[in-house]
Amino acid sequence: MSTDPNQTTVRARSPLAEAWGMFLQNYTAVAALFVLVIIILGAIFGPYLYPTDPFEMVWSPFSPPGVDGFILGTDYLGRDLFAQIVHGARVTLVIGLSAAVVTVLIGVTVGALAGFYRGLVEEILMRITEFFQVLPTLLFSMVIVALFGASLPMITLAIGMVSWTAVARITRTEFLRIRELEYVMASKASGTSNTKLMFHVILPNALPPIIVQSALMVGSAILFEAGLSFLGLTDPNVISWGQIIGSNRQYILESSFTVTIPGLAIFLSVLVISLVGDGLNDALNPKLRQR
Amino acid sequence: MKHVVTNFLKATAITSILATGAVAQETPKMGGTLVTVMGSTPRVLNPAVQSGIVTGLVGAQLFAAPLRYDEGWNPQPYLAKSWEVSDDGLKVTLHLQENATFHDGEPIKSSDVAFSVKIIQEFHPFKSMFSPVTSVDTPDEHTAVLNLAHPHPALMLAMSGQLMSIIPEHIYGDGQDPKNHPRNNENVVGSGPFKLVEFVPGEHVIMERYDGFWEQGLPYLDKIVARIIPDSAARAIALENGEIHLSTFENQPTIVNRMSAAKGMNVSNDGYGGIGPIDWLAMNVTRGPLQDVRVRQAIAYAIDKNFILKAVMRGTAKDALTGVHPDSPLYNGDVNAYALDVDKANALLDEAGYGMNGGKRFDITLELVPFPGYKPQTEYIKQALSKVGINVTINATPDFPSWAKKMGTMDFDMSLDSVYNWGDPVIGVNRTYMSSNIAKGVWSNTQGYSNARVDELLAQAAEENDQAKRKALYAEFQQIVNEEVPIYYLNAVPMHTFYSDKIGNPPITGIWSTSSPMDRVWLKD
Repeated sequence: MSTDPNQTTVRARSPLAEAWGMFLQNYTAVAALFVLVIIILGAIFGPYLYPTDPFEMVWSPFSPPGVDGFILGTDYLGRDLFAQIVHGARVTLVIGLSAAVVTVLIGVTVGALAGFYRGLVEEILMRITEFFQVLPTLLFSMVIVALFGASLPMITLAIGMVSWTAVARITRTEFLRIRELEYVMASKASGTSNTKLMFHVILPNALPPIIVQSALMVGSAILFEAGLSFLGLTDPNVISWGQIIGSNRQYILESSFTVTIPGLAIFLSVLVISLVGDGLNDALNPKLRQR
Repeated sequence: MKHVVTNFLKATAITSILATGAVAQETPKMGGTLVTVMGSTPRVLNPAVQSGIVTGLVGAQLFAAPLRYDEGWNPQPYLAKSWEVSDDGLKVTLHLQENATFHDGEPIKSSDVAFSVKIIQEFHPFKSMFSPVTSVDTPDEHTAVLNLAHPHPALMLAMSGQLMSIIPEHIYGDGQDPKNHPRNNENVVGSGPFKLVEFVPGEHVIMERYDGFWEQGLPYLDKIVARIIPDSAARAIALENGEIHLSTFENQPTIVNRMSAAKGMNVSNDGYGGIGPIDWLAMNVTRGPLQDVRVRQAIAYAIDKNFILKAVMRGTAKDALTGVHPDSPLYNGDVNAYALDVDKANALLDEAGYGMNGGKRFDITLELVPFPGYKPQTEYIKQALSKVGINVTINATPDFPSWAKKMGTMDFDMSLDSVYNWGDPVIGVNRTYMSSNIAKGVWSNTQGYSNARVDELLAQAAEENDQAKRKALYAEFQQIVNEEVPIYYLNAVPMHTFYSDKIGNPPITGIWSTSSPMDRVWLKD
């Protein structure tokens, strides 16, 4: 009963740990994650560390960055731009995240139902998806916000409403693939209910591409919010990065920093979110693991 | 900063005086194409059935009014070569230019004047202009007599600018709806110095010299091209590039300051007294804490006017303390200026029974008016009122119609608004104060303000032909309204004219800007 010294025990690593290992090998993604964590921590704790009211007029308008103790200068009403960036981060990220959640909720539901039941259900749901896909997204979200008012929940919902189609298509494709696999057949044969099959058997295995897509969704939702704010469709009682750009844009020729600084903040956040999403894609996509 | 701005303004004033002096010595030259610009497409080109400054710009070239005004607010002959007002003020007689013709060669007759008055009475939105006119007699082809139910001093201003355009009866009297008449935009037969060549909505209006204009040698220009460019920054670039010679009604402070520095470009805020635009904070006095005059006064004391004039308007706007434009001879500047006084504001609010409770007294909403450039003031007012414990929530309205509906039905607490005087108070001021005009749509008495003495003063002043007595009546009116603050006046809208060095006689003399004929504008080489 001696153990063969040539035989190494292969310990099964959990898929999650394996993915994390893959992710760590992608240095760009790790660096991006590091920056993203800083941004998130800044959004959570920044307002306590830098409590200056972003709406308070504290200095003469348009004083340039670094002058008179204002790190990023002041805007058209003499409000501290650094305070606006710090306080605006929270709203910007919350909109990004919650819009992504809305997107995933709608997209996964539609995609799962279509991919699982096929037939007439699929036909109807996919035609609806196509209908939303061909609508010009920014225009459609503008219509929603213009009709129902520019409050944060409505803006979030509007962004979710126009961007769920990609998630729905991906989910449906994955469901179509997985539902034919043997273990699904086996559970089906043993009498598992449809709901359980959908959400306990198929969905967990379809998750990786959905996770990647929703990570990218956060970035595009932030850009979307910035676009809406730029056009003035925003809640003027809260501050977001897009809104800072939108309200300062008419002064771009004389004080471009009031627009470029929040622009850079959005650029950086969306970039790191995309890089992290890309890293997740590499880590979770089994076909790429062989690289 | 203030000194720089004032000195700068003085300097521009002096330059413009010198420039006018120089122009007077230069002999105007015939010919040339003037390129000007409008911020939006006029709905129609016929000012007899439509108000607004874009209809005015084209309409005042295509159609002539009986009178024109100089910069001292004195009426001057135009289509009427002379006029008389009877002693009792009940008859106004106009003697028309005898050789005046419409653009199709038909003579302009007194019957056309009678017809035009009838159309304006029925279809123009400013009903108060001609409502006292009971009939128009036409004793001969060149004499029109307006019979009035009571003396109506506002009539003189209502007969100038774009307000009383004489339109041909033989075109518009064909029984079709004058408001949507096909000849309002196409094949327009006008009475003014220029005739219509082409109107492409969203693009441009082209007008050319009418050779049969009654005054020999006028107009100087061969052609006027009025381009339509909605974005003020795009207009500024076109001006800087020399694509456009003239732009009027420009009111974005940053653009005004940018143009002041531009080469070959002149900037003036003269010539808008008749238009009389004022920015203000309207308060709905029929609901919530705003019913209490002390609350409204406290709001006025809590807002720092200097901040708005200097930081938001960047020194481009004049202060306005009452509902009458500061350029008007009827303006009464001797009223409470509500200089910033936070203590007084707090005291007034305490007195009104709105005590401070955890840093807050009450909540109120402020509409964000959907005109370009009104966000900074709105945000500032929210912040200023938070200092005295008034928690303001800003309501963003996506478009003009929804905002106008809210205002017109008084479904708001406070909103910024921009309202024009249109010459005489009877035309543009009364509407926002008379208790008989409460909630009659946007730019009516949307504040729900009602004061018997104000009603009485306005009614008396409307019929008072003695200018001094009239001025006294309006002075008292302004005093009361300033005291009761249904409206807190922010500033005169900083309307500016940008014109290139090439332009002789720019439309900055007078009170109607480009809502008056440009027959004497000319182009230098």
